[in-house]
Amino acid sequence: MTAWSDRLHDRRLAVDLVVWGGLALLPLFAGAWQVGQIAQYLTYGIFAMSLALIWGQCGLLSFGHAVFFGLGAYAMSLTTLGMLPGLAGWTSSYLGVALALLLPAAFANLLGRFLFYGRGLQGAQLAIVMLAVAVIAERIMTRWSYAGGMNGLMSVPPVDLGAFGLRYELYDPLPLFYGTLAAAVLIYALLEALVRSRRGVVLRALGADEPRTAFLGHDTRALKLAVFTLSAAVAGFAGALFASQFGFVSPPLIGFGLSTEVLIWVALGGRRALLTAFLGAIVVRLAENALGDLLGAYWLLGLGLIFVVCMIFLPRGLLGEVYWRLTGRAGAG
Amino acid sequence: MDQVLLLLLDAANYVLVIVLVAMGLVIVFGLMRVINMAHGELFLLGAYTLVMLQQAGLSYWIGLVAATLLVGAVGLLMEELVIRHIYHRFLDTILATWGLSIMIKQGVILLFGPGAQSTAAPFAAQLDLFGTPYPAYRLFIMGVALLVVAGTFYLFFRTRFGLAARAVIASRDTAACLGLPTRAFDRATFAYGAALAGLAGAVMAPIMSVDPQMGLGFLIPAFLAILVGGAGHLGGPVLGAGLIGATDSVTASLWSPVLAQVVVFTMAVVAIRLFPGGILGGRRR
Repeated sequence: MTAWSDRLHDRRLAVDLVVWGGLALLPLFAGAWQVGQIAQYLTYGIFAMSLALIWGQCGLLSFGHAVFFGLGAYAMSLTTLGMLPGLAGWTSSYLGVALALLLPAAFANLLGRFLFYGRGLQGAQLAIVMLAVAVIAERIMTRWSYAGGMNGLMSVPPVDLGAFGLRYELYDPLPLFYGTLAAAVLIYALLEALVRSRRGVVLRALGADEPRTAFLGHDTRALKLAVFTLSAAVAGFAGALFASQFGFVSPPLIGFGLSTEVLIWVALGGRRALLTAFLGAIVVRLAENALGDLLGAYWLLGLGLIFVVCMIFLPRGLLGEVYWRLTGRAGAG
Repeated sequence: MDQVLLLLLDAANYVLVIVLVAMGLVIVFGLMRVINMAHGELFLLGAYTLVMLQQAGLSYWIGLVAATLLVGAVGLLMEELVIRHIYHRFLDTILATWGLSIMIKQGVILLFGPGAQSTAAPFAAQLDLFGTPYPAYRLFIMGVALLVVAGTFYLFFRTRFGLAARAVIASRDTAACLGLPTRAFDRATFAYGAALAGLAGAVMAPIMSVDPQMGLGFLIPAFLAILVGGAGHLGGPVLGAGLIGATDSVTASLWSPVLAQVVVFTMAVVAIRLFPGGILGGRRR
């Protein structure tokens, strides 16, 4: 056990406080519309953390992580719209969130049970199979008319925090922002506790050299499966929050495009730390908002170029470089 | 009977093109341990080169050769500019080539627009096969693919170049100690794999709609074929593409294309569990 004084001297804590404190003070400086916008980016940030957990920590790359995000978004929407087959009266947001956590987790667990046995392509099965899953999922949702088909599901109600007959909907920008921020902080705290624990060290060992970690007596397959399942649940949760904020879900949410985007956010932000991945999502989205109209199709070309250059020269990411310098750690161990 | 024959021919056509794409991937992976996610976009570039040259009034045959050579050169450039710097970092090569694929796709959209292009086959004749008319061009595609696949096997298993290349695949360090120029082999194989994708794209362009998203539709089946067949042997993608392509064609024509994708995908995932190293990779754990 680390002593409490050591923990207080851990500079990661100071960075955490500055970042989350800064976010909490944001509504003082930004207008209502911007606050609502950033509340939405916070859900993307949670999604980015779920990917950074498997990729940055365990070296499990996924080209289709939006499948879990989209699955969560659809589960939440179908529930709160009262469209669950056989459960028409059940429209509680709590049930929606529960399903948005469970369904992606169950699907990820099932996939993982098959995929983590593969040895071909040096363990890149997951990356490639997830790419196929994303493309197929998008096509299925486009065809599935019950879930809206190509048009998606519209007027998804906001999250209702009420209980025992009382209603409290997170709809106005300010409560929405703080509600989402609280969710993001909660997820961050939970995942970061895992990352900083002894088990977190094992996860990084697994990412660095799986055979050696196995020789040391760790059941690497079970670990990978557990982390992958957890990551899918978090992605599904982010999807559920997104759906109820945005009020609209459509097939692109579950597909290939968003999967690519989240990879770029995490890579540019920095995959090695959850915080930099989270901030990467928000910063890239803000930049896209500011520059997207101006640059048009050149935006994605430029983003691709930055991504490639970043992969070659700054594998820890743009924000990651800053983060690891500030915290005085290598970012690899 | 006619229906069955047509189905078989179309399936064979699809399988052979997937083999062409998958083979380029496997050669690059075998030699350099690089998974080239931009391979689908090399296919795309091949198709666009052919379309553009034909629209400029040049003949189909010049387009076909030019597409192969040009995409090979693009592969060489990719290797020199990007892959060379990171080929020892496995995951980063996947991501860097992924970034390249985004750039190529977006570049094509900027140059030619997001819409579909089309081009004509050099001959529109129908051949009479056992009483069933069949487009001669599709037979030509199969012929080209068979020839190139056979040529690749010959190159790798019957020539001194192939022997040396297989030595580099088996053990890069030992090969380097014996004086084989491994860097030159890297360049040559990357360009060769890229050229295969370019050829596949060019030869397929006349029978499909050429649009910026077409690469992924061939990249994914090619990858699944490799996962099913195994990446350790050149025969792996051939076997995998046969299984994947046949299942896909049959399911798609009997039921629906979406169901076919689901079936193929499920098959691939189950195959990974039963044969972790691919069917030709043995059942060792």
